Amino acid sequence: MLIKESRTYKLAKAALLAVLIALTPVTSDLKAQARPLPAAEKKEDPLSLLYKDAIKNLEEKKYKQALVLFEELDTKAVDVEPKLKAVVSFQKSLCHFFIKDWPRAEAELTAFLDKFPKGTEDFLSDTDNRRGTAELLLIEAFSKQGKWELALVRLEKIRTNSLARPEERVNAFTLSAQIIVDRAKSSPEDVKRAAYAQAITLLKQATADGISTPERREAAYKLVEMYTKLGLTKEATQLKNEIDAKSSGSPVEVVRSNFQRLEIGDARFSGAETAADENFRADFYRQALTNYQGTLRRANLSSSFGRAIEAKQNEVDTLTKNFPKPNPEQAANLEKTKQEVVQFKKIQEEFNANKDYDAFISYRIGLCLLELKRPWEAHVAFLDIFENSPGFSRISGAYYYHILALRRIGRNNEAQAKCKEFISKFPKDEQVSSIALILGDISQEREEFPEAIAHYKWVQANVKSLMPEVVEEIDFRIAACLFSQVDWAPAQKAFEEFLKKHERSPVRQQVLYMNALCSFFQGKYKETKADFDKYEKEYPKGQFIPDVRYRQAIVKFGTSPRDIPGTIKLCEDWLKDYSKDNTEEVMSQMPEVYTLIGDANIALADEIDKKVKDADRDVRLNAKTPKKAEFVEIKAKSEKEKEVVTNKAIDAYEAAARSARTNPQALEFVLGELRKLLPGRGEHKRMRDLFKEIFDWNHNDPKAMTYLYEVIRSTERMGDMPEFAAESEKVRKKFSAQLADARKAVDTLERKQGVTQPEIDVAKASVRKLSAELEGELAKVEVKRQVSIADQKKRALKILSDAVSESINDRTQEGTEKLIVFLAEKLSRKIKRVKAGTTPEPGTYTSTEAEKELVKLLRLDDHRESLVAQARGFFALGQLAIFTREPEKTAANFAKIAANYKAEELNPTILAMVGDSLLAKGDQKKAADYFGYILEHSRSSEYADYGFAGLAEIAFDNKKYAEALSLCNEAIDNNILMSKELDLRFTRARSLAELSKYADAKKEFEEIAKTKEWRGEKTAASLYWLGLMAERQATNDMGYNEAIAYYRRCHMTWKKYEVWAAKSYFASAKLFANKLNQKDAAKVLLKEMLEKDRIKDTREAQEAKSFLLGL
Amino acid sequence: MRLSFFLPALALLAAASSPAQTFVFKGERWEINDPFKMDSSIPPKPVVDAKKGTINVIRGEIVRVSNTGGMEVTLTRKLSEVTEVIWPLPSRLKDAQDNVSRGEPAKALDNVEAVLKFFEPIKNVPGSWWARASIVKLDALDRLENDAATESFLTAFEKEEAAKLPEVATQIQLARLMQRARKGEHDAVIKESTELLTKVDTAELQARLHLVKGNSLFASKKYEAAMATYLRIPVFFGSETEIVPKAMLGAARSFRGMDSPSLRDQKLDTVANRYLYDIIVSYPVSKEAEEAKKMLPKEERAKAEADQKKIAAGGPLPDGVIMAKPKLAAEEKVEGNK
Repeated sequence: MLIKESRTYKLAKAALLAVLIALTPVTSDLKAQARPLPAAEKKEDPLSLLYKDAIKNLEEKKYKQALVLFEELDTKAVDVEPKLKAVVSFQKSLCHFFIKDWPRAEAELTAFLDKFPKGTEDFLSDTDNRRGTAELLLIEAFSKQGKWELALVRLEKIRTNSLARPEERVNAFTLSAQIIVDRAKSSPEDVKRAAYAQAITLLKQATADGISTPERREAAYKLVEMYTKLGLTKEATQLKNEIDAKSSGSPVEVVRSNFQRLEIGDARFSGAETAADENFRADFYRQALTNYQGTLRRANLSSSFGRAIEAKQNEVDTLTKNFPKPNPEQAANLEKTKQEVVQFKKIQEEFNANKDYDAFISYRIGLCLLELKRPWEAHVAFLDIFENSPGFSRISGAYYYHILALRRIGRNNEAQAKCKEFISKFPKDEQVSSIALILGDISQEREEFPEAIAHYKWVQANVKSLMPEVVEEIDFRIAACLFSQVDWAPAQKAFEEFLKKHERSPVRQQVLYMNALCSFFQGKYKETKADFDKYEKEYPKGQFIPDVRYRQAIVKFGTSPRDIPGTIKLCEDWLKDYSKDNTEEVMSQMPEVYTLIGDANIALADEIDKKVKDADRDVRLNAKTPKKAEFVEIKAKSEKEKEVVTNKAIDAYEAAARSARTNPQALEFVLGELRKLLPGRGEHKRMRDLFKEIFDWNHNDPKAMTYLYEVIRSTERMGDMPEFAAESEKVRKKFSAQLADARKAVDTLERKQGVTQPEIDVAKASVRKLSAELEGELAKVEVKRQVSIADQKKRALKILSDAVSESINDRTQEGTEKLIVFLAEKLSRKIKRVKAGTTPEPGTYTSTEAEKELVKLLRLDDHRESLVAQARGFFALGQLAIFTREPEKTAANFAKIAANYKAEELNPTILAMVGDSLLAKGDQKKAADYFGYILEHSRSSEYADYGFAGLAEIAFDNKKYAEALSLCNEAIDNNILMSKELDLRFTRARSLAELSKYADAKKEFEEIAKTKEWRGEKTAASLYWLGLMAERQATNDMGYNEAIAYYRRCHMTWKKYEVWAAKSYFASAKLFANKLNQKDAAKVLLKEMLEKDRIKDTREAQEAKSFLLGL
Repeated sequence: MRLSFFLPALALLAAASSPAQTFVFKGERWEINDPFKMDSSIPPKPVVDAKKGTINVIRGEIVRVSNTGGMEVTLTRKLSEVTEVIWPLPSRLKDAQDNVSRGEPAKALDNVEAVLKFFEPIKNVPGSWWARASIVKLDALDRLENDAATESFLTAFEKEEAAKLPEVATQIQLARLMQRARKGEHDAVIKESTELLTKVDTAELQARLHLVKGNSLFASKKYEAAMATYLRIPVFFGSETEIVPKAMLGAARSFRGMDSPSLRDQKLDTVANRYLYDIIVSYPVSKEAEEAKKMLPKEERAKAEADQKKIAAGGPLPDGVIMAKPKLAAEEKVEGNK
């Protein structure tokens, strides 16, 4: 993806190599070089001088001059010991080597090795005759000339020579590995990988006995490199850590180690990018991240360089001080140390020049974190780049990924701001197009279409370097936004322009379709048909064909005159063709097609209804003509016909509802239609069954409660079955004829002369008897009806109880409390209220029965083991007591929760309600626990403000005013104000007052006092507090009078809040008496106060009495 | 072609020093018995090798028996003659560090005092662990939140030569900042820690400073800034295993502080719980894991504990989990204390 070998990395590698070259000793042991030739022991002969001169040139890296002198020496020194000839041969080969004259170096080294089996013997070193070095140099000379095989053969000899020095054998293994890898450099990947594997085998042998020497550590470094190349990161990391543990801490090693770590990270990262298996990918990203995080940052490296330079410089100073006249060995040592200082400084300079180093590490870390689904950390990683490396060379990439991170954490506003910042800062960057798209896409995704359009237009106007495909996409998106915000005419215009401007667009099909929809939604059915026909012609098997066919049906339904049969036919054909299609689009469209069938049938029913009405009118007009029967028949037939189509419509709506699980809009529409149709037809069971099915789709759906409510209501209505009405009617009919006869008989007897009164009384008694019988029969039917209703109500409660019981054990289901409140309210309505102190009649449903039933319905006995279920039981009883207006019971039940449950066992609803109850009862400690838990865990819940308000109140009561203020500010500033805004503002005002921030407090109290919606106790309290603040600040009569004015407003306007009224009265009286020297006025006021029934028993009243006596 | 750099590279690299306990005198090196290495006797006694030097702190000497030509000679050097100490991380100092990270400050003090006592006579010699041990003691005292003891120790420590070392000086500054944070001077702590962050270079100090700054931002209810500060620690200093769980805990608390009904869509409570889960899973034996367990809702706590057991038994890492990373070896090498 974005990871390439960074410039930083290349620079640091170059720096490292520069150090290594610079520190190359021109010869081997400097001690030996200083040793004079034996011939020179007696007197400085010309050969000795020549040798010294040659060595001097060699040391000064003047290889060509040195070579000339060594060749001269070789010619002149004919009669000398073999070891001296060997020394000259070896030095000549070194000169060739450093001149990079590989063929001559090869020839000289071969000659040295062939002619001098004892090498330089003890001349240059007591322990090293330089044959080993010559072998390695020769191998290198072979390699330089691409003579791989020769080099490898020589190396194998060293590797297998048990007499060779161990370190030479280690070097041979390492060199062999390097040559094998270099040999395969230009080969195909599989050959390269085979070479890496072969190199690993060799290097493992080189490091088999540990990595305690520089040679072995070098081999280990190579082995890490090979492991990395083969993707064996675990092995690479393990070995790397081992090497680091043995590191000498020199800057060279630090840099090398550091960049090797980066390399391993990069290898892992690219491994992750190409890994097919998701699990491996995550592992690889983790490994990459670990390596990046382990890489030292600039400050650390710079300081490490600084320390190393300082130490080396001290070494130079000490050597200079200790050896003012150094011998050659000391001089060489001093020179070497000086060179190290120079090179360390060079690394430091190179490093300091690379400003991107830290940013690259942050960038890579950010990418890994983003891939590892840790967007918050990625956000922080990219923030680091913006804060500390704004000039980062890949800043555009950082912006892009930071924007992605912001989107993933849901910070879309910030993401948009970042997009704009980027576009304005880097208008010509190659990322500008994609970032420009993101800008609008965020608003589009949030359905903020005007903003999205504005963003896209801003991009069109401000970004000059948009790619053509982005221009096209923006044109489409603008049209789509207009479409989505139902601006049909502008959307259609935009689509038409799009079709003209981008004829061969990949989204042409969609644009044609949406363009047709624009006509459709404007009600231009003629144009719609033409547009859809065009679409069907161009894309007969297009992805929108199902929708197009459905819309064509709507067009038929919408055109004038309506083609209802045609509409229904198209819909039925659609269902036939797509009923087994499980694609998301078709599934979502199905309820709409059913709904259209329903609508078409309802339209038919409406047409038939006209016929019914006409027939009815004709029946009335022809009531006394022979035609009446004919019209009656027409009416009956039409009614029957209407009933048939209405049933079809209901069936279609029902089918629509049942298939609308993925189409909430269609669902809402058809449920609305069914709510109008079914109850009126007494089809409560059908209604109940349908809503139950929908409720069961998802009990956590935000509308689940509404569906459940319909289930309950329909179930209750089911009790009042039409059969009861029919039976009553039948009874009435049966008795009405008999009663008519009986009444007629009475009437006849009364009119008939000669009939005695007893005879009439008998007839009347017969009427009464019949009446009573009728009443009795109707009562029987009513009893049956009531039983049926009660039975259904019981069933409804059971459904509710089932719903509650299902989630009563799950603390996280906040909807359960709502159901409990619903249930408690239902039960409370069954209670027959009696006056306080009156014993209810036996068998009356009282609150005690309701409590028992509630416990039963919550099935608390089945959930004995569940703490949260038991707590919800107490909560339910507390809520029931709220509905039955029994505050003591509420407090008692909430107290049980407080006594038995830790905050973590409850959910925010219960914590908030019980916390409030505890606070009211004065149990601040427990209340604080509950409120604290809400603040800790549920700041985004609907009850978060209870936590803030409760804790602020407790802090205020404990005179921790700053803490109370801070809590209130936090809630108010973050708009955590659902039910407790007034409490929070009131506590904030009081805290400000107690902290003597009177101006701010006054604003707050005045705001409360003037807000109509908050009129009540807090208004009274605010007026009192305004008075109190005025009193505290008063320094003269005017000030005291201002305070009295507030107090007066309080006690005169808000007598019903006796506590505040009493406080205000008493405070005014004290001011009159003590500050304004108006004792009479004070007495009058106190008397008035003490006459008030509500105030008499307050604490202030008691104090006022004493105060009055003292006046 | 990089062969030409190979041989010179070998010449450049010096032999690695062995990590044995060694005192360097002028022109001489003595291996020293490790007083923290105990045998298996009951009660355990320090393992003593007569050939190695043994320290007599009271006399301020090191005594060693040398066998020259069959003759045993007892050699004595003054502790004041030691010019360099080569000593791997003492086990009790490591224990003390672990105690601090596990939230056992009293045990940490017990362990660290032994180290301080041993290195006291050579506290200013290069390679001595005294300064490091003092810093661990400072940490332990900080954990105990005993301001009086911390103040007294800091005052004495500041007068020491070691306190002038840049790293130690920064640690002392850090400790002072922590003291101020405890006193509630959060604005000042935020300002000074921000300044100090530009001056310190080691990952450990950077991480510690971020933690102090994050704590003060959190205490000032600047939750967003606190979150971003805390998260820098796992993001950039992930191998600081002592500090990372503290930072993650702080981040979790900050996310909870940031949460409000208007930000419900960002699911900050879930994000916070995720960090608590990570602490339990990745740092199961830390004090912070215990704290995280208390903070997590009980259902999620149970899941975190179960997942931690699965991971400990070699199960796969759940999605998004990044395991605690051990400190990289380079930072633990013997030279680290110089």
